Amino acid sequence: MYTSSSDALHVEQRDAQLRIHFSRPTINYAMLEALTACVLEATADDEIRALIVNVSADGDDGNDMGPWPDRLRHRHPEGNHGAGPLVEQDAIRALRRFMKPTVALMENVVNGLAIDLAAACDVRIASATTTLTDSRIHQGRTASTGITYMLPKLIGQSQAMRILLLGETLSAAELRRIHFVHEVVEDAEFAEHAITLANQIATMATRAWEVHKMQVVPQLDLGFDAAMVHSLGIRQTHVIEDRAEGMRAWREKRDPEFTGR
Amino acid sequence: MSSSEALRIEDSGPVRHLILNRPEKLNAIDITQHERLMAAFLEAERNSDIRVLALSGEGRGFCAGDDLTAEKRMGPNPHAKRAVDLEMGSGPAVLLESCAILRRLTKPTVALIHGVALGSGYDYSLSCDFRLVTEDIRFGDPRIDRALWAAEGWSYKLPRLTNQSVVTPIAYLGRLMNGNQALEYGLAHAILDIESDIREAARPFLVALSLLDTNAYASTKAAILDGLDATFEQSLTMQATHP
Repeated sequence: MYTSSSDALHVEQRDAQLRIHFSRPTINYAMLEALTACVLEATADDEIRALIVNVSADGDDGNDMGPWPDRLRHRHPEGNHGAGPLVEQDAIRALRRFMKPTVALMENVVNGLAIDLAAACDVRIASATTTLTDSRIHQGRTASTGITYMLPKLIGQSQAMRILLLGETLSAAELRRIHFVHEVVEDAEFAEHAITLANQIATMATRAWEVHKMQVVPQLDLGFDAAMVHSLGIRQTHVIEDRAEGMRAWREKRDPEFTGR
Repeated sequence: MSSSEALRIEDSGPVRHLILNRPEKLNAIDITQHERLMAAFLEAERNSDIRVLALSGEGRGFCAGDDLTAEKRMGPNPHAKRAVDLEMGSGPAVLLESCAILRRLTKPTVALIHGVALGSGYDYSLSCDFRLVTEDIRFGDPRIDRALWAAEGWSYKLPRLTNQSVVTPIAYLGRLMNGNQALEYGLAHAILDIESDIREAARPFLVALSLLDTNAYASTKAAILDGLDATFEQSLTMQATHP
């Protein structure tokens, strides 16, 4: 097991899972930069088979996001509009492009940018008393981190407009009803359930998950014919080594033991 | 078109039933069955007496998916140039093509699902316009549980038939739906209460479809499918030039 804590993130590697949660209740540049780095590192690490991100946060820090990252100094905009959402977009992009399983844990409050991070994950589970609000609209701010693209596809345009344009506060039960979250768990059982689910997902056929996701995500932007060619192309260029074990286990009527490759 | 033992073709007035008929294998599909289905879809499209196509299964279920115990094809392989998989041969490419043909039929297409509908059976059902189910179905795609490929077009269709969030339990986690869940996700259009035969239970729905204007149905369906890949202005232009 590996753990690391900083002012930005608490990171723990347990078996094949990388578990991340924020060190502060509101999100700033340092936290987003640390998250992006973590996700990129996990992408290249074959030992990591699932990313578990506790996205609970009361949005971003607004006008006090901390120092602008040095790596982006040449892109810091001048003028009245302030900094563009480059740091936020990089974090969302890294999560969305991470093809291994990603699980968003939602507890207490999920607001603004925390919604965007949750939307970029594959699985979302919430504790029963969680509430979700996008207060950016009430602050006269635009959500410009890709959520306007992701949310209508995840739950349909009608429900997305309710969250993004009305800024309604939604309960966990309502989030389950509109299919934004996949499971709602009683608060007292949430932590244990999250571990059980993470353990289950981290021992699945990770490579099969990847090639499924590799098809779904890009094909959201493709026409039907192009999507079919894309699927065949993915199939010809990727190997699932675990398939042999999957078939053996099926024939022998036992649970498979996947390596993730 | 004549029936074969494995794929029964029965007409009930303007409604054509394609009935998967390998009940001893829960209607699992091998490559020859994919070919039969593809030919049957094309023939139904050409036959002006047929106004509705219904796909169902004989016995305890709709379809258990690909026949993983099928023997390799002997003799010349007409799909050799389309092989995309070293172990599965041309099967995936043929299934993908067959599903694409079914999806683009101009006539109403309905999957009547009872028992199980898994893997390629699930793929075929997603290519139909409507899915009528029984409450106790086991419906979905457990291929990921065996680390198997699923690359036959579901990844385009599923997020559009429902929404992207629903892809997670069905495709990534491999969880099977019952009839009520399929209805909740918007994948099933109705739950049938069957006493004997699902085709008999679906008859009022199928007859109602057969009474619709064929041209209006075909052009509306084409506009919906084309519209999925178009901008709003492109949709207007297409409909203005091909009303």
